[in-house]
Amino acid sequence: MIENKSFSSRLRIVIIYVIVILLGLSCLFPLWNIVAISFSGSAAVTANRVGLLPVDFTLAAYKKILEDSQFWRSFLISVARVVIALAINLILIVLMAYPLTKSSKEFRGRNIYMNLLIFAMLFNGGMIPSFILVKELGLLNTIWALILPGALPIFSVILLMNFFLGIPKSMEEAAIIDGAGPLQVLLKILLPCAKPCLATIALFSVVGSWNDFYSGLIYIQRPKNYPIMTYIQSLNVDIQEMLRSGMNSSALQNITELSNKNLNAAKIVVAVIPLLVIYPILQKYLITGIVMGSVKE
Amino acid sequence: MTKLYKRFSAAMLAAVLAFSMTACKADHTKDKEKEPVETENTDSKNEAKDTKSADPFGAYENEITVTVGRQTLQNPKMPEGDTYEDNAYTRWLKDRLNIKITDEFEANGDDYNRQVSLALSAGEIPDMMKVVSQDELIELYENDLIADLTDAYHTYASDYLKEVYASYGDRALNNVTFDGKIIALPGTNADSGPSEVWIRSDWMEQLGITVDEDNNNCITIEELEMVAREFMDKNPGKAENVVGIALIPWLTSGDSDGTFSMNSIAYAMGAFPKTWMKVDGKAVYGSTTQETKNAMVKVAEWFKTGLLDPQLGTRTWDDISALLANGQTGITFGTWHIPDWLLNNVRAMDSKAAFEAYVIEDANGKVNCKHNDATAGYIVVRKGYEYPEAAVKIANLFYDELVNSKALGEKYPEVMKYQADGVDGSVRPFNIEVNSYTSLLDDYSDIKGGVSGEIAIEDARTTESKNVISNIKNYLADPANAEIVDWSKYHSRMKGIALIQSLTESDTFVWLTPIFPQTTQTMETNWANLGKLEEEAFIKMATGAIEVEAGFDQFVKEWYSQGGEQIISEIEEQLK
Amino acid sequence: MKKEKKSRRRYSETMYHLMMLPGMFFLILFSYVPMVGILMAFQDFVPAKGLWGSKFVGLKHFIYMFQLPDIAKIVRNTVTIALGKIIIGTFMAIAFSILLNEIRHKFFKKSVQTIVYLPHFLSWVVLASVVVNMFNLDGSVNQILSAVGMEKINFLGSNKTFQPLIIGTDVWKEFGYNSIVYLAAITSIDPGLHEAAAIDGTSWWKRVWHVTLPGMLPIILLMAAMSLTSILSAGFDQIYNLYSPIVYESGDVLDTYVYRIGLVGRQYSFGSAVGLCRSFVGMILLLTANRLTKKLTDRKIF
Repeated sequence: MIENKSFSSRLRIVIIYVIVILLGLSCLFPLWNIVAISFSGSAAVTANRVGLLPVDFTLAAYKKILEDSQFWRSFLISVARVVIALAINLILIVLMAYPLTKSSKEFRGRNIYMNLLIFAMLFNGGMIPSFILVKELGLLNTIWALILPGALPIFSVILLMNFFLGIPKSMEEAAIIDGAGPLQVLLKILLPCAKPCLATIALFSVVGSWNDFYSGLIYIQRPKNYPIMTYIQSLNVDIQEMLRSGMNSSALQNITELSNKNLNAAKIVVAVIPLLVIYPILQKYLITGIVMGSVKE
Repeated sequence: MTKLYKRFSAAMLAAVLAFSMTACKADHTKDKEKEPVETENTDSKNEAKDTKSADPFGAYENEITVTVGRQTLQNPKMPEGDTYEDNAYTRWLKDRLNIKITDEFEANGDDYNRQVSLALSAGEIPDMMKVVSQDELIELYENDLIADLTDAYHTYASDYLKEVYASYGDRALNNVTFDGKIIALPGTNADSGPSEVWIRSDWMEQLGITVDEDNNNCITIEELEMVAREFMDKNPGKAENVVGIALIPWLTSGDSDGTFSMNSIAYAMGAFPKTWMKVDGKAVYGSTTQETKNAMVKVAEWFKTGLLDPQLGTRTWDDISALLANGQTGITFGTWHIPDWLLNNVRAMDSKAAFEAYVIEDANGKVNCKHNDATAGYIVVRKGYEYPEAAVKIANLFYDELVNSKALGEKYPEVMKYQADGVDGSVRPFNIEVNSYTSLLDDYSDIKGGVSGEIAIEDARTTESKNVISNIKNYLADPANAEIVDWSKYHSRMKGIALIQSLTESDTFVWLTPIFPQTTQTMETNWANLGKLEEEAFIKMATGAIEVEAGFDQFVKEWYSQGGEQIISEIEEQLK
Repeated sequence: MKKEKKSRRRYSETMYHLMMLPGMFFLILFSYVPMVGILMAFQDFVPAKGLWGSKFVGLKHFIYMFQLPDIAKIVRNTVTIALGKIIIGTFMAIAFSILLNEIRHKFFKKSVQTIVYLPHFLSWVVLASVVVNMFNLDGSVNQILSAVGMEKINFLGSNKTFQPLIIGTDVWKEFGYNSIVYLAAITSIDPGLHEAAAIDGTSWWKRVWHVTLPGMLPIILLMAAMSLTSILSAGFDQIYNLYSPIVYESGDVLDTYVYRIGLVGRQYSFGSAVGLCRSFVGMILLLTANRLTKKLTDRKIF
C-alpha cells in the first residue's frame, strides 16, 4: 500500500496509536487488578487494599487450585462441552446459511425458514418447559443438556448469511457453470472467502459455551458435574441472603472460608486463560482469510 | 435421501409428541404411574413392616431406597472421595436403618429453590425433600402432593425429638399443621438474639474511653455517639478516610440481629422495622410506626453531623467489611457470631485488634428483642410414598442419636470424625437443624464450664462445643499470639453469646412476639413495590434528600394506599 | 437443455432443504416445542399444578404490569439505558475497528485485539467491585477530579450520574468484543478498492467514508437491527450489582423489577408476561429495521 508520508498522515498514525493504547490499557486494568488480587494475601484483599500490585504476595491461591479436584473436573467438562458444541454449531450454521442466501424464487420455502428462525430468536418459552423437554429426552445431567439446546445459534446463521451475500455472485455462477452442486459451491467457493466470518462465529461459539453458567444451574443437578463457569458462579455467595435464610454460624464460616476473594480471583484468572489462547488460534484463520482475499484478486 | 428425511421427521415428531404428552400429564399422573411399580414387590416389604413394632430406631428388614432433593453447601468439607450421596452419614444410615439415599437433585443455596420448582413443574417430586419456605409448603399441601405425617410422627418420633419440638411450645408444630394434619417435619429456628454493637476495645483502651459504668454491657445511644466521635477525631487505626459508623443501603433488617443494619438503634427506640406485629388486636407493619420515624430522625441526624458514613447508600456489604478490616471504622452492628466469619478479617489485618460486644438499652434500661419464627426449612414426603415413617426415623437418627449417643464413636468412628472435623450439616440427608429452643445458651453453659474447668471437655454435649472449648483455651493461654480461629471463637462465645446469657439472666430483655403471616394475595402483587417504596424513602430520609418529618408521613400514606391497607386486612383475616 | 436445467434446479432445491434440515430439527425441538411455555403469561402458574393444571387468567398479568405505579419510570429508565448502550456501543465498536485496522504492526494489533475483549469475559459480579472502587468517593476518578479542583461526585449514588455510569461502563466492557464482527467485515472488503482510492490520492477520511464504511454497511445495519431487539433489556447483572435504593429512581429497570417481584413469590407468570411484551416489541423493531434497510440499501438483513 502506498503511504503518503506527509506530516498529517504521520500525525494521524500517532493519534491512532495513542487512542488504541489508551483503550487497550483501560481494558487491561480490571483483569490486571484481578490478577493482583489473586496473588495477594486474603486479609489485604478483604480490606480492599489491592490495586495494581499484589499486597502480601503469595502463591497460596494457585496452590489451592492445583489441589482442587472439583475445579479441574469442571474445567474438563467445559473443555469437552466447548469442543463438541463448536463442531455442532459450525456444521449447522454453515449448512443453513448458504440456502438462505438464495431468493425465494430459487429456493421455495426460504422465507418460511427465515421467519421461523427470526421468530425463534425473539420468542422463547422460558426455563420450565425447556427443563421438562430436556428431562423427557433423557438428557438431564448429561453434557448434551448443555450443548443441544444451543446447537443452533441463530444470530450466527444470519451473520454468515450476510457475509455470503457480500461475496461477488460471479464466482458462484462460474462454479455452477462448471457443474458444481450446492454443497461444492458452499465448501469450495464460499467458505474460503468467509474465513474471517467463520473465525468470528467460531469465537462466538467458544466464548458463548465457555461463559454460559445458566444452563448448568438448570440442567445439571449435581454440583460436582457443573461446568467451570457454573462452578465459579456458585462461589459468588451472597452472605446477606444466607443470613436472611437463617444459615447457622458454622455453615457461614465454611462459606466465607471458601468465598475468599483471592482464591476466587485466581480461579477466574485460570478460567479466562483458555479464552486468551483460543483467539490467536482462531486469528490464524483470520489471517489466512486475508491472504485468501488478496490472492483471489 | 428421502428415507433420511423421513427418519428425521419421524424422530422429530416422536420428540414433540413425547413432550406434549408428558406436558399433559405434568399434573402428577407421573406419581400414580410409579405406584403400581412399587406395589409389585410390596408383599415382602409389607411383611417387613408388620413384623417390626413401632421402634423409632428400628431398621428395615429389606433395604429401602429414598430419593431426596438436597440443598447442598459449596464447601461441605467432606473428605476426598465422599459425596453427598455416599458419605459417612449415608453409610451410617444404611447400616443402622437399612435405608439407602439416592439424590434426585442437588443444588446450592438459592439454586436449590429453583430445582424444587422445576421438579414440581415436571410433575416429579422426590420421595423426600426440603422445602425452604412455608409458602411452598402450603402450595404442596393444597395441591395434594405431600403425605400426611401425623401418624408417622406420633408413632415413630423419638421422645427426645418430641421434646425438642415441644421446647418451642406449640409454635414449631403449629407451623406445619394444617387441617389438624402434620404435613412436614420442620427445621427449628431458635431466637438469634439482638443485633450487638461490636466496638474495638483495644482502641477504647488506647484512647482511655470509658463507657458502660454499671458494667452490664448495655450502653446508651449517647455513649455510642461519644465513642464514634472519639474514634473519628483521634483515628486510632491511623487510617485514611475515617468513617464513624457504616450501614448497609437498606438500613433496616427483618432479622432482629441484622448485621450492618440500624436495628440496634431502632429497637432501642422501640421500633421494629420490617416486622409484622399485633398491636391491640390489629396487624401493624413495624416500618410504618411512630417509633420507626423517631429512629429515622436519629439516623438522619447522625448523617448530618457526619457520624454516619458519608457514602451511606452506596456502600456494599463488602465495602463495610473492608472499612472494618482497614481500621477505617471500629464500630459495627451484628449478630453474635460475626467474629467467626467477618471480624476475623480485622484480626488478620491487625493482630492487636479486640472487640467488646454491647447492646443499646432503651430509655428504661431494657433491651428490646424479638422472637424468630420457630421454624425454618421443612422436610416433606411425597404423597403415595410407601414409607413415610422413614422420614421420622431419619430425623430420629440425625437429630437425636447423632447428638446424644455417647457410644457412637466406637462402632462408627467415621461419623464421629465428621463431627470432629466440622463437616457441614448439609451432608446429612436432611439439611435442616432440629435444636432445642435453649440450645444456644445450653451450649454456652457447656463452653463456659469447659473453659473454667468446671466440667471436663468430654462432658460437653456437642462436638462443636468441645472444639470451641479448646479454641478458647488456646486463646486465653496467649491472647496476643493466638491463632485467628481461636480469637474468633473466644469473641463469638465469650463476648457474643455471653452477652445474651447475662441479659437473659438479669432479665433485661423485653421480648416481642411478632406475627409471621403467610404471603397474601396482595403481597404477591404489591409487596415488591412496597419494598421499593420503603427502601427508597428510608435512604432518602437518612441521607437528608428528604426531610424525615414530612417524608416519613408521606411514605406511610403511600404505603397504605399502594396496597398496604389491603395487605393488613388480609393478614387480619389470616389471624382469625 | 431446458429439461436438464429444470432437473438441476430441482436437485439444488432438494439439496437446500436437506441442508436446512439438521438445523431446523434442533430449532423445532429446542425452540418451538418449549414455546408452550408462553401460555404461562396467561395463567397463574403454580409449579405444583404444572402447565396444564394452572388456572388461566387471560390478560391479568399484562394489565397488572401496565398498572404498576412506576411503570412509566421503569420503562423510561430501561429504554434510556438500553438505547444509550446500543448507540454509543455500536459507534465505539465501529470506530475502534476502523482505528485498529489502520495499525500495521501485526503483533501489536493482535495483542490489542485480545486485550480489548478481555472485559467481556468477566462477569459483572467481579467487575462491579472494580467499578465501585474507581467511582466511589475515595476512588481514583474522584481523586483526579479533586486534583484538578473539581467537586467530588458520588457517581453510584446520584440519579444524575447513575445512567451515564451504567451506559459508559457497559460500552467499555463490550466495545472490544463487539468490534470483532466489524473487523471481520473490514477484512472482507476488497483491498483493491482501497488501493484504487489511495492511488487517486484520496484522503484517509474520505477513504474511510467512501470505501470502508460502505463496505461495512450491511454488517453495521445487521448488528444495529439485532441490538434493537434488546431495547427493553438494560442488562440485569450489571444494574443489579451496581444499584442501590438511592438510585432506584434512575436505575430501576424492567429486569430488576421483575427480579424483585420474583423474590416475594415465585411469580413465573409475571416474568413470562414481561418477557412476551419484550419479545413483541423486539419483533416490531426488527421487522421495521429490516424494511427500512431494504429501502435504504436495496438489501434486506434477512
